Amino acid sequence: MALAYKLIPLFLAWAGAVMVLGRGFPGRRPMVAVAGSAGYAGGLAATFLLVRFLPGDLPFGIIKDAVGAGIILMWGVSVAAVYRSTGRDVPLPWGERFAHTRLGAGICALATGILVGAICACRFTGADASVPVFLLLVLAAVVLACAVLAAERFFFSSLTMYPSGMTVALVAFLLLSSSSILRLDLFSPLTMKVMKFAHDFVHQFFESMLIPDHFFFNSFTWDFIGFFFGKQVGFWGALIIWFVPVLLVALAVNLVRLPAVAHIRQGAQRRKMLAAAIRERRSRLVVPALAAVIFAAAVYQSRFPSVEYWDPKPVSVTASPSGEIFIPKKGEIDLEDEKLHKYLFKQGGREARFFVLMAPSGQWTVDLDACAICKPDGYGQAEGAVLCYYCRTLIPLDTVGKPGGCNPVPVPFTAKDDGIHIDGLTLINRWGETVQATTRIKETGK
Amino acid sequence: MAANIIETSGLTRSYGDICALKPLDLRVAEGEWLSVMGHSGSGKSTLLNIMGGLDRPSGGSLRVGEEDLLALTEDGLARFRRDYVGIIFQQHHLVPYLSAVENVMLAQYFHSVPDEAEARSALERVGLGHRLKNRPGELSGGEQQRVCIARAIINSPKLLLGDEPTGNLDHKSTLMIMELLRELRAEERFTVIMVTHNQEVATWGDRTIYLDDGVLVREERNEQGES
Ligand SMILES: Nc1ncnc2c1ncn2[C@@H]1O[C@H](COP(=O)(O)OP(=O)(O)O)[C@@H](O)[C@H]1O
Ligand SMILES: [Mg+2]
Repeated sequence: MALAYKLIPLFLAWAGAVMVLGRGFPGRRPMVAVAGSAGYAGGLAATFLLVRFLPGDLPFGIIKDAVGAGIILMWGVSVAAVYRSTGRDVPLPWGERFAHTRLGAGICALATGILVGAICACRFTGADASVPVFLLLVLAAVVLACAVLAAERFFFSSLTMYPSGMTVALVAFLLLSSSSILRLDLFSPLTMKVMKFAHDFVHQFFESMLIPDHFFFNSFTWDFIGFFFGKQVGFWGALIIWFVPVLLVALAVNLVRLPAVAHIRQGAQRRKMLAAAIRERRSRLVVPALAAVIFAAAVYQSRFPSVEYWDPKPVSVTASPSGEIFIPKKGEIDLEDEKLHKYLFKQGGREARFFVLMAPSGQWTVDLDACAICKPDGYGQAEGAVLCYYCRTLIPLDTVGKPGGCNPVPVPFTAKDDGIHIDGLTLINRWGETVQATTRIKETGK
Repeated sequence: MAANIIETSGLTRSYGDICALKPLDLRVAEGEWLSVMGHSGSGKSTLLNIMGGLDRPSGGSLRVGEEDLLALTEDGLARFRRDYVGIIFQQHHLVPYLSAVENVMLAQYFHSVPDEAEARSALERVGLGHRLKNRPGELSGGEQQRVCIARAIINSPKLLLGDEPTGNLDHKSTLMIMELLRELRAEERFTVIMVTHNQEVATWGDRTIYLDDGVLVREERNEQGES
């Protein structure tokens, strides 16, 4: 039931993509149906197999990269559209001709189908990814595609499709589906990348000329530079990167010159041609407008994922007289349930929050509930990964326990048959060295 | 003999029990000027409105140009009126708070897109080059009717319909309007169908038909009109 609910954005995106393809290749609906469905089935099957036989997060990385390539393609196409609309018509004869062949329609539909299928497969993990599920999903996708293609002819007759609009719309639907899956989400990582870029840029650019009482870089200026270190800059930057192509496509539509009508002598006829051209242009704006709405929906899904995080309250623990913390494997809490379990340890006015986790591989790890970079907001767990609440980075379960980046800071421990043994003082010190250090820098830094 | 722009057969229109138009067979040649006469209530306006696509007949068949008006949907009928028909009424139906040129531009807007230069030159053609910015209330009856003519011809209709356009005008203004229509028809080659009470006005046409109680009772050619 919950799963069916989670499949809604995925099938919505599939229906939308098929609709766009049907509109984009109006004479090739059977081809779109066949190639799209074949692609979907192929993408689904391949991803099921990849997830089963490839370790860790690699399959997800591949799919993410493919969707990312879609974004880059969308940028290229939209910039080209603006270029073509301003200058004289740059001839792209092979492109135009290709887009009108059955092969062109087939390849577009196949590629879209593969990606949508692959994204859909990521919703299923482990035992869920079975042959009956595969058959059921493919059946649903084929039925949906045929229904959409049959219905599409009769609806939205004013919706005009064209290559750049089609690209933007297809990428929008891909992002809508991928952003509904935590591990495929591209928006949060993009936010981080932008933030890091702004951070590095400000550091390198300004620090290289950091002279104490520089003419420009006095403390007043630094107050503004602080803006570049905020989370906001990442969000807005990522938003710009997502939405600019849509705006460019809309701009390109508006820049295309209206047909020359001055030579038509009869006023009524001249105005009619002009009106038709204006109407056509207006109807072309519908596609980027819809794409923008879908992009916004994708951003919303990414910012407010409908995922329930496993977020246990920290349990207070104390050390034995010898300074050792002991956490039993079997007790009130079942440590071996592959979920993270949080604990709070206090000693002499100092404290440390940490968690114990058994990865699906059976590997044990004990880590601070904080990383060396972010504010110690702690971690939650969902869909094969833990997630830093501060920067929303996902860390796959297999890599929890490795140091560096936004990974939780590992703590030395010994796993025995009865439970986990941790040295209290080491724990407290580790928290003090890493976490408090970061906080202190944040407090004093401008 | 030119092709017929209008052909009706067995065309009827009834309002409940009242039969405003009895089965009517009528042909109008392309470029012809047809006058329609009859007593008040004889069905002249009913016939004109049906031919202009403003009203639907109750039965029979009606072809105007390429279009079978009985088969058209509401949208099709609206498109037909836009592309085919210009109408002048006895009451001018101008928008009171818009200037003459804006009133003409409004017709352009509903047809396609407004074009002020073209609207001005249309008003100049009907001799109102000096009253472009005046509102209908500031114009005489004859001038108002000339704005209506400019508005009716601005979208190059094939069919110009008049429902007693000179009914409210004095003799001199009437003659000016008729003269203007004759000039414009010579240039634009549209077909004119003119409903009138006035025998003298009727003789400006090539042919006059007489309606009585919804029946075509008489038809005559006019010597003067065939000049
Ligand atoms: N909307 C209407 N509803 C009912 N009867 C109407 C309507 N319009 C016209 N009629 C009747 O149809 C007949 C013809 O009217 P009309 O064509 O306006 O006459 P004319 O223009 O020749 O004076 C009249 O008897 C009139 O009362
Ligand atoms: Mg009347």
